[in-house]
Formats: sequence, C-alpha cells, structure tokens
Amino acid sequence: MAIRIISLLACASLVVAAPVLAHHSFAGEYDSTKPITLTGKVTKVEWTNPHARFYIDVKGDDGAMTNWNLELASPNVLKRQGWSSTSLKEGDVVTVEGSLARSGAKMANARLVTLADGSRVFARAAADGGA
Amino acid sequence: MRFQLLRCTPVATLVAVSALSFQVLAQPTPAAATSPAGSGSASNPALGGQKPKGPAPRLPNGKPDFSGVWQGGGPVGDIKDGLLPGEEIAMLPEAEKLMKGRLSSEDPEARCLPTGVPRVAPYPWRLLQSPSYSDAKILYILFEGNIHSYRQIFVDGRGHPDDLEATWYGHSIGHWEGDTLVVETVGFNDKFWFDFVGHPHTTQLKTVERYTRTDAATLENVTTVYDPGAYEKPFTIKFNATLRPGEDLMEYICNENNQDVEHIRGKAGL
Repeated sequence: MAIRIISLLACASLVVAAPVLAHHSFAGEYDSTKPITLTGKVTKVEWTNPHARFYIDVKGDDGAMTNWNLELASPNVLKRQGWSSTSLKEGDVVTVEGSLARSGAKMANARLVTLADGSRVFARAAADGGA
Repeated sequence: MRFQLLRCTPVATLVAVSALSFQVLAQPTPAAATSPAGSGSASNPALGGQKPKGPAPRLPNGKPDFSGVWQGGGPVGDIKDGLLPGEEIAMLPEAEKLMKGRLSSEDPEARCLPTGVPRVAPYPWRLLQSPSYSDAKILYILFEGNIHSYRQIFVDGRGHPDDLEATWYGHSIGHWEGDTLVVETVGFNDKFWFDFVGHPHTTQLKTVERYTRTDAATLENVTTVYDPGAYEKPFTIKFNATLRPGEDLMEYICNENNQDVEHIRGKAGL
C-alpha cells in the first residue's frame, strides 16, 4: 500500500506545475508553460550545491551540436533518495523532460531523466526539493 | 541504482497534491527506530527512519524532549499559508509597495543567504539542547540549508542585551510555559524575506515562537510576528515541523555552484 501511495503521489507530481522546495522560486527561473524534451550524450556531471547539474550535447536539425545545462535537485536531496554522484555518467545517452529557463539560455530543469534502456535516474527529484 | 519507470494511471494523474505535502508523505519508511530523545541515527540516512508514534518523549527532568532532526516548521513559499483562523496580514503601504517591487532574483535565499525568522529552508535542521538531559540553558538550531548556520536560544533567564546589532537571526531568549517553549527574538536586520513571494519586514521585527512537541513526530511552531514598521497589526502563523528520525544533517554549501541567480527573471513569486 505504501508503495502504491508513493507511486500515486509520484505520478501526481508530474502534473504539479511548480514545485517550490528549492532555495529559489521555481517559477522565477523556469517556465512550466514551456516544456522541452532533449536527447543527447552526457558531457559532464556536477555533483554540487545548491543543485546538481549535468550537461548534454544535443544535435540540432542542422547537425550542429548544442550543449545544454540541466538542473537537478541538491545533492543532499538526491542522496537521501538513494542516488549518487555516479548514478549518471559522462557518455550516458539520456532523454530529459523539463521546463525551459526563462533567461533564454540553453538551460532547463531536469524533471525526468531516462536512459537509453528505459530506466530512470533521479526520479522524484524535481518534486522533492529539486527544481 | 536506477529505478524503473513508474506507471501512471489516469487516476494518479488526477490526484492533486502540493509539492510540500508530497515531500512529507513520500518519505520512505524503513524499520529502524529512533532513540527516545528523537535524536538517534541508527538507520540509513539515505532512507530516513520510521516516524515514531505516541506522545512526545520526555527528559529525566520531565520537560518534553525537542532534540532531533526536523524538517519544516516555518514558511517557504508564502507566509500566508500558515495564518491561523481569523488572522490576517495587513501590510502598511510602504511595505506593500516594497513587496510589489521585489524581483525573484533579489531573494536573499536564492543568493545563498540565511532565511532569518520565521522562514525555513526546505532542508532538515537539528535541534540540540545543552545540556542534553537536564535543564537546558541553551538550545541550538543547526541548519543544513540554506546555508550552514545556526540559531542559539538562551533559556538561562537572561534578557536581551541593550547593545544589539542587527543580525539575520536576531537575539533569542526562551522560557517554558508548561510543555511549550516560548522564544522571543529581537535584533533582526531587514534583509531577509519571509517567503518566496517577498513579504518584507523592518528592524522593528519581533517574533514570539511557541514550540510544542504535540506528539513524538511533530513539533508545532506557532509564531506571532510583530513589526509595526511593516504591518498594521501583529499576525500569528502555525507551521508544523516533522521529525526525520534516523537522519543526520548533510553538507550543503550553497555558494559552491549557484548558477541560479543570473537566470531568475520576473517579480517575486512561487
């Protein structure tokens, strides 16, 4: 039952537009009305505060490569959920769903991160202290 | 460790929960118990501990034991969320103007500065009583975030000094009223915000926090905010802190890689 409730809440969290549990306002930095899905290879992982980050190279329609900066929850939140600095590695190919940064930079929050084999890393992060 | 994709049913996607309640409800529940004082660290901190049931534990001197790792207990998004029934926030015109002009990027917390009082960061904090098992003279609150910092609450009968300089956490003195610890704090600077939406205050701010461990897993904080420089009248809020048994504080050095501020846009808000 506990697992079912957690799953329900985790799914419900997908429709929560603006998680607020971070050190800054979510809506101030990201625009939940501008969802984005990116697929690319991880070039760097930063296990740092106030947010862990990773960067991926995404190939555009014109073949040009763009490096995106993707924000996760803080390492303390991720660690308490069972993730670590090696959960995602340079060279992994991932698909990321998130919201675009308001600043116009090649940046987004990483709400969902899915590996090529379909498994998910950093699940729950955005709703549990992330953004 | 990589989790498999959760299956979301249509029912699940219709469930509306706030991020805060999700955060509280979704904590895993391993079997390890906490110490009677609520400060044990026997279980895996990555998993958290099972919430203790029953009444608040007590120290040998009969006082309720407040020690332990807690989370919550104050406003994060909007201080209005904690208003008690019948209470209202009546802002003076200057304070209202100040708040309306605030930008989200100006929030001191986004800039890795302290929360002040009564705001809390969305991270755990530890309450320590010194000495631990008799009449405490000082209580310490150790914050994991938003910066590693602390409050000290003097419970030794002293008053506030006459020569206070304005600070982020002010000067706190406490006394017991039954099982409730009453903490009066003055000497604040006017730099911190009460919440993401930017409720302001002045250096005339005084807070009176009333802490009661209403059961083993809950520390109730009823705070009255007095600030005649910003508000027409005092107002009282209530937020509960939840015990995080089996957890320890973790490192959180906010300034390490704070890229957020340069990307935050718009007026203060959630």
